[in-house]
Amino acid sequence: MAQATIKERKSLSAWLAQEKVFRLIPFIMVEATFLLLLAIPFILTIYISLLKWRANRPFEQAYFHGLLNYVRVLTTEDFWWALGRTFYFAGTAVMLELLFGFLLAMLAYKQFRGRRIYITIFLVPMMVVPVVGGYNFSMIYIDSGPLNQILSPITEAMGVNPRIRWLSHPIAAQWAIILADVWQWTSLTFLIFLSGFAALPQQLTNAARVLGASRWQIFWKVHFPLLKPAIMIAVIIRSMEALKLFDLSVLLTFGGPGTSTETIAFFLWRQVWQFNKYSFGAAASILLLFMFGTLIFYGIYLLVRERDIVEEERME
Amino acid sequence: MKRIFLATLILMGITVFVASTAIAAMVHPGKTVEERAINGAKAYIKKHNLKKPKQTMLLISLFKNSQPKYLRQWKKLTGVEMGSIQYGYTDIPAKIMAEAVAKTGQYDVINHFPYVIPDAVGAGTLQPLDAYMAKGKPDFTGIDSGLLAQQSYKGKTYWFILDGDHIALFLRSDVMKAAAKEYKAKFGKAPGCPDTMAEWEQMAKFFHTKKGQTRWGMKFKQPLYGAQAYRSINFSYRHFPAYMGGLLFDKNMNPLINSPNGIRAIKEFTSIVKYMPPDVQGWGTPQLYPHWGSGRAFSFMSFPSAMGYANRNPKSKIKGHQLACPVPAVKGASGKMVRRAPQAAGTGYMVNAHSKHPELAYYFIQWFTGPTQGDIAIADPAGFWDPMRMSNLTNKAVLAKHTEPFVKMTMKNAKNAISLLMIEGNYEYFNVLDKNMAQVMQGNISAEQAAKNVEKGWNRITDDIGRKEQIKAWRASVASGAYIDKFAPTN
Repeated sequence: MAQATIKERKSLSAWLAQEKVFRLIPFIMVEATFLLLLAIPFILTIYISLLKWRANRPFEQAYFHGLLNYVRVLTTEDFWWALGRTFYFAGTAVMLELLFGFLLAMLAYKQFRGRRIYITIFLVPMMVVPVVGGYNFSMIYIDSGPLNQILSPITEAMGVNPRIRWLSHPIAAQWAIILADVWQWTSLTFLIFLSGFAALPQQLTNAARVLGASRWQIFWKVHFPLLKPAIMIAVIIRSMEALKLFDLSVLLTFGGPGTSTETIAFFLWRQVWQFNKYSFGAAASILLLFMFGTLIFYGIYLLVRERDIVEEERME
Repeated sequence: MKRIFLATLILMGITVFVASTAIAAMVHPGKTVEERAINGAKAYIKKHNLKKPKQTMLLISLFKNSQPKYLRQWKKLTGVEMGSIQYGYTDIPAKIMAEAVAKTGQYDVINHFPYVIPDAVGAGTLQPLDAYMAKGKPDFTGIDSGLLAQQSYKGKTYWFILDGDHIALFLRSDVMKAAAKEYKAKFGKAPGCPDTMAEWEQMAKFFHTKKGQTRWGMKFKQPLYGAQAYRSINFSYRHFPAYMGGLLFDKNMNPLINSPNGIRAIKEFTSIVKYMPPDVQGWGTPQLYPHWGSGRAFSFMSFPSAMGYANRNPKSKIKGHQLACPVPAVKGASGKMVRRAPQAAGTGYMVNAHSKHPELAYYFIQWFTGPTQGDIAIADPAGFWDPMRMSNLTNKAVLAKHTEPFVKMTMKNAKNAISLLMIEGNYEYFNVLDKNMAQVMQGNISAEQAAKNVEKGWNRITDDIGRKEQIKAWRASVASGAYIDKFAPTN
C-alpha cells in the first residue's frame, strides 16, 4: 500500500516535471485564480442583477427581470445623492492628501538629522487598521473631547461655540470624515511623493543651478514636471480607495445625521444587507464598476500620456 | 331511531375521549411550563439518542453578561450545551438573511426583535413553533395582547417574548417639585405625567433652561434641555408610531401618512426637537442614557431601561429623581385621543429552521421564557429584560430591580403597546421614514413634503416586494391586534 503511494507520488512529480507541463503551471494557477476570484463572481453578479430577487424570498423563487434593476438604480434619488456625496468626500480628501503628502515629502526629502524617524512617524497612520483609526477619531470628535478642547482658544476667540458638533451636525460630520481620511492616507501620498523626489535626477537640478535658475524655478520647471507621474499615481491609487469609503462613515456617523455622510458604498451595503435587495445591489455594483472603471482607466491613460511626455522631454 | 342516536352519542364520546387522551399523551409531563420544557428536551435527547448535544444561540451582545448563566443552567437541567455567538443587534438581521442563503444550521436559537420575523419567514429561516407548542404547552397568560400578537406572523408562531421594551416617558421629579408653584400658576395644574404629546412639548418648553440660569432656587451650571428622545436614523421609526396614533397603511397598503393626521404626527414628532440637545440627531443609546443620567435633561422618551440605568449607574446625578410615565396621548386618525407605546426594542427568541434539532432548541426557549424562569431573567440585575407579565407586579425580585412605581407604570403602558411594522421589507420602510424625519428636523423640507416623500417611497417598496403579498400580510397583522388599531370603515 505504502509502496503504491510512493510510486504514485513519483509518477506525479515526474509528470509535473515535464517541460510542457511545467511551463503551463504558472499560467494555470493565474487563470484559475482569475476564474475563481474574478470571472465567476463577476458573471454571477451580472446574472443576479438580471433577476428579481430579494433575500426575503428563497432564491428558487427568483425570476428573470431584464434590465429593470438597472432602471431602478438609475431612477433612485438616494443612489445619486450617495454618489455625489462620495465624489465630494473623495475629491476633497484626495486633494488635501496630495497637498499635505507633497509638502511633507518636500520637507523629508532633504537630508537632515532625525529624518528617518520623521519618515517613520509620517508613515504610521497608514499602518493603523481603519477600524481602529475610526474608533480613535470617534473619541477625538466627541463634543467635550480633545479636538474641541484644543480648538477652544481659537473658537472662543472667534465667538464660535467651542463645542463643535463634529459628528452630529450635517456639515461638520462630513468634514469629520474627510479629516479622518486625510489623517490616515496622507501617509500614502507622502510615501509616493517621497519616492518621486528620491528618483529626481540630480544632474538636471545641477544643470539648472549652473544655468542660474532660482530655487522656485528649479522646483517649478524641473522637479514638478518630473514628479507628474508620481502625482498621477497618487491621484489614481487614492481616488480608487477614496471612492470606496465605507469604514469611516459607518464607525463615525453610521451615515448620519440624516443621510449626510452616507457614501455610495454605505448605500450599497444598506440595500443588500439591511434591505435584502440582492439583485438591486448587484445592478448598482455593476453600474458603479463601469462608472469608476471609466474614470480610473481615463486616469491611467493620463498617467501613461504624462509618462511618455516626460520621457520624450528627457530624450530631447 | 333512539338507539341509533344513543349509539352515535356514545361513539362520539369515545372518539373525544380517545382523542383527548392521545393529545394528553403527546404533551410532555410536568406541572409547569419549565418542567414540560425540560422533560421535552430530555425525551427528545433520548428518542434521538443524542450524546452530549450541543446547540448555539445567535445572541444580541447586549445580553452577553446576563444570558450565559442561563445557558449553563440549561445544561445542568438537560445536558444540552448551549453556546452563544454574539453580535450587535444591528448586525443580526444580516446574519439571519445570510443563513437563509447558506442554510448552515450554525445557530439553533436566534435572539432578536420581532420585526425581523417577516423577512426571515419569507426567506425560510424561521421554524414555526406551533407543533412543538402542542407538546410543550407554553403559557402566555398575563401578557398583554399587543405584545402577544408579535409572536405570530401569518397565523403561525415564530417568536417567544421576554422583554416588555415599549417606550415610556421619564421626567425629573426633583425639578418638577422645585418648579411646581410656578408651573401651576402658569398652567393651572401641577407638573406631572403629561396627558398628551402637546402637553409634553409645553412642559419641555417651560423647563428648558440655559446654562448659568437660576430658576426655582436651582443654579444650572449646565443647560437643562426640556426634552430628549431618539431622533436619529435607525431610531426615529421606533418612536414615530406613538405620534401617528393609528395605522400606517389602509387595508390596501396605501400609506396613511400623507393625511392631516400623518402631517400632524410629523410636526409633533419634529417640533419638540428644538428643546433637545443639538446633537440628538446623531445620538443612540450610548449617548442618550449617560446624558440623561448626567441630569442635563428634564424629560426623556425612551426604552424603559433608561430609568434603571439612571438609578443604578454610580455616576448618575438623578438617582431617585425620576417619574415614570406612560406614553402621552395624541389625537389619532380616529379623532379620539389614543396612547400608543411602540414595542421599540423588545427582544425574544426564535428557532432556526435549518437547525439540526429545532425541536430541542424550542424547548430551551419555552423554558427560558416561561412564567417562572422568565421572571427570574426579568429580575436579573445584569439583564436588559423589561417587565411584561402581570405576575411581575407581585414578583418581589422584579420589583426590587425595577421599583414598584415603574413596574406599575410599564404594565399600564403595556395595554397600549403596539408592534412596529410586521411586514416584509419593514427595514426599508423604516429607513424611508427616518430619512425624511431627519430632513424635516434639519429644516431642509416641510412636514408636508416629508409626508409626500414617505408616501411615494413606501408605495415604491410595496410595489417592489409585491403589493398583493404585502396586503395579505398587513391585513393579517392588523387582524392579529399587533397594532391595537383596526382599519377604519372608510379605508
